Amino acid sequence: MGKKRGNRAGFWFFRTSLKLFGLSGAYALLYPVCLYYLIFDRHAVSTAMTYVKRRFRSYNIFRRICAVYKLFVSQGKNLIDRYYHVAGLGQFDVELRGYDRIKSLLSNSQKGFILLTAHVGNWQASMTALKKLNKTVYLLMTPEENAAVKNTLNIGNEKDKAKIISPEKFLGGILEILKVIDEGNIVSIMGDRSYGHNSARVSLLGGKANLPVGAFSIATALKCSVVVLLPAKVSSRKYIIDVSHVITPRCSSKSGKEEEIRALVQQFARILEEYAVQYPFQWFVFSDIWEGEGE
Amino acid sequence: MQEINEEELADIKSALKALLVKDLSLEDITPDDIKDDEILFGEGLGLDSLDAVEIVVILQRNFGLDVKDIENRKDVFHSIDTLAKYVYEKRKD
Repeated sequence: MGKKRGNRAGFWFFRTSLKLFGLSGAYALLYPVCLYYLIFDRHAVSTAMTYVKRRFRSYNIFRRICAVYKLFVSQGKNLIDRYYHVAGLGQFDVELRGYDRIKSLLSNSQKGFILLTAHVGNWQASMTALKKLNKTVYLLMTPEENAAVKNTLNIGNEKDKAKIISPEKFLGGILEILKVIDEGNIVSIMGDRSYGHNSARVSLLGGKANLPVGAFSIATALKCSVVVLLPAKVSSRKYIIDVSHVITPRCSSKSGKEEEIRALVQQFARILEEYAVQYPFQWFVFSDIWEGEGE
Repeated sequence: MQEINEEELADIKSALKALLVKDLSLEDITPDDIKDDEILFGEGLGLDSLDAVEIVVILQRNFGLDVKDIENRKDVFHSIDTLAKYVYEKRKD
C-alpha cells in the first residue's frame, strides 16, 4: 500500500484484529476501511484508476470505481496475510511453479540471477518460499520501503537469507548488485516502476507504458538470467508463486543493445499483461506508468 | 614507494576514454573531449548508474579486474584519472 495507508497504526489495528477475530474477521474489517479510502483518499483512487481504466476499458465509471474498491480490498488481504504468516498465526499453502528451472540455473552457473518482480500479490511471502534455494536474496529497495518489509521478513537477523541493497547508495547500489550476482546470489528488483530512472516505452494493456530497463541492462552486462517472480493469491489459504518465466539476454552487438534491452522489457511487459488478465485485482500499480499517454 | 610510469598511465587513460566512448555509445563526444579530471557521474560527463555497469564490464573484460575488488573501491569511479590509476595499480599487484 502507499506510504499514507501503510502506517504503523493501521498495521497495529489489523494485527490486533487478526489475533482477536482470525483471518476471516480481519478480512471483514477491510471492507469498511477500504470504503473510507475510496471516498476520502482521492490520490489513491486516481493512481489506482490509471490501471483500472486500461485493464477494464469497457467499464463505465461506476464499474471502474467498484474495481478500484476491489483492488484496495485485495491489497488489504495481501497485507493481512503477510502479518498472519509472520506472526505465526497460521500457514498458507504455497505452490511454487518453475522451481526446478531456477534450481538448474543456479547449478549450471557460478553466477546468480536477477529476480524481477512487480507490485503484485504478496511478493514478500515469495521470499520465504525461495529460502529452500539456500541463496541470499538481496532486495533492491529504498530505506522507506524497508521499514514495513524489514519487520515482515525479519531482515537484519543474521540467519535470514534476505538482505537489503539501497538504491540510495553510491551509483544506486549498482556495484554491490554486480558483486553479489557475481558471487552467485540473487537480487530482487521491482520491474514495474521506473521512479524517473532509465526506462523503455513498451506496449502494455493497450497503451504505451514506461518500464525500467535496469534489470535487463545489468543482466546483459553480466550475462546472467532474469527470472520473473509473480505471486498470486488464488484462494483464502493458497498462493501460487510463479518463477517459470526466465528471460535470458543474448546481446550480439553493441549497436543493437539498446533495442535488444527494449525488446526484453517488452517481453516482461507481456508477462505482466498475462498476469493482469489472469489476476486483475492483484497488480497494485498505484502509479501512472502510462504517463504522457492520452486516454 | 613505486615510481609511476607516466607513459603507461597515459596509455591506460587513452584506452579507457576510447572504450567509454565506444561501449557507452556517448553521442557527439570523442575520446579527446574527455578531460582526465572530469567528473564521470552526475555533473561533468553526466554518466548514470547503468553506465557504471558498463564501466565495470570494461574493467573486467579489457583489464582483467575483479568485480569484488571494484565494489570496495568506489572512489575510483570519480574520473578517468582515478580509474586509470586504479587499473595501473592493479596491474602492478
